[in-house]
Amino acid sequence: MPDIKYQRLTGTHTRQAFSVALASRTSLWLGPDHLLCVEYNGFSETYKRFYFRDIQAVTIRETPWRTIWNGILIIPLGLCWAALMTSSDRGTAFAWGLCVAVVGIPFLLNNLWGTACACRLRTAVQVEDLPLRRVRKARRVLQRIRPLIAAAQDGEIPAEMVTTWLREAAATESVAPAPAPAAVPAPPVVEGSPVPPRLAP
Amino acid sequence: MNPVIQCPACHASLMEGVFNQPDFAPCPACRAPLQVLVFPAMFRKIAAGQNAETILVEGESSCFYHPQKKAVRPCDGCGRFLCALCDCLLDTRHFCPACLEAGLTRGKIQALDNQRTRYDSIALALAIYPILMFFLTIVTAPVTLYVAIRYWNAPQSIVRRSRVRFVLAIVIALAQIAGWTALIISMTGHNA
Repeated sequence: MPDIKYQRLTGTHTRQAFSVALASRTSLWLGPDHLLCVEYNGFSETYKRFYFRDIQAVTIRETPWRTIWNGILIIPLGLCWAALMTSSDRGTAFAWGLCVAVVGIPFLLNNLWGTACACRLRTAVQVEDLPLRRVRKARRVLQRIRPLIAAAQDGEIPAEMVTTWLREAAATESVAPAPAPAAVPAPPVVEGSPVPPRLAP
Repeated sequence: MNPVIQCPACHASLMEGVFNQPDFAPCPACRAPLQVLVFPAMFRKIAAGQNAETILVEGESSCFYHPQKKAVRPCDGCGRFLCALCDCLLDTRHFCPACLEAGLTRGKIQALDNQRTRYDSIALALAIYPILMFFLTIVTAPVTLYVAIRYWNAPQSIVRRSRVRFVLAIVIALAQIAGWTALIISMTGHNA
């Protein structure tokens, strides 16, 4: 079978926002008929495939991580900036300037990347977090895969139809009778068995 | 899994107002901004599995694994006849359970691969990390060379296919070996 060519959709990200550098990292790739989520732990890769025909829903939720990171970075950035402004000799100014750069670049990137989000993908048997952390990036990826999913599933559903169908499904679930408990067969009586035979209820 | 979509923040069942919208809409329960895209697979009924038909007419082709069952197609891997029960569809190809198992264990079918060892990363790590305690490199440099050469043709990552890490590891290991050789020669020369 020929090797499948994948296109990169996202860079590698840790699963959690505050993960240490050694934690496993995930990235998202686009295959001909599926998404591939690659989890890399440094020495091996684990793959999860989400076929377009099986994807039921994708959820994007805004998260406060951009604000949290801003809150974390703004204090040391302010302190370093103040120290840089008040430093008298060139050596100290250079050192504080370096500190401003070290804290300021992540601060700048955090704001350039835009609003943070968490993205989830649902199939019939699983709900998986996707390595999409920023709304802009998530939308760009969705814009790319949405037509592919629609093509694999013969179209999209209008918003009002989703609500109607969900209500119907919920009503069917509530009306459907509970399955009757399966009859438990009496254990066979074996001659010479140490277990006494049980009386059927 | 029931066709119910829950808010990822408050786990309330979502019923309306947030599906397939062009922009974020608040969750009716917790007001968290959400965008939910729902696709037709959500409401698709799961097809029941096929039953293998019993052979009724003598001389009909039978399944290799179930001689009493009627063959419906040959395996794309080994060509054996399969009944509906043994016919495993993968992408567009039909395999018997044995070929699927073989494909999984030998890594022959890429669509079944769910894990790969990155020997190139192992070789590079063996070449770089021991530099922190340089005396270890006398052992790790030959080991790096062994790993890089031994696994040069091993299956690589299915997304990144380059041997740059192997090459880098070999170069670094050779440099370390050259360094140790020079050191030993200079020490023996000095003693002599």
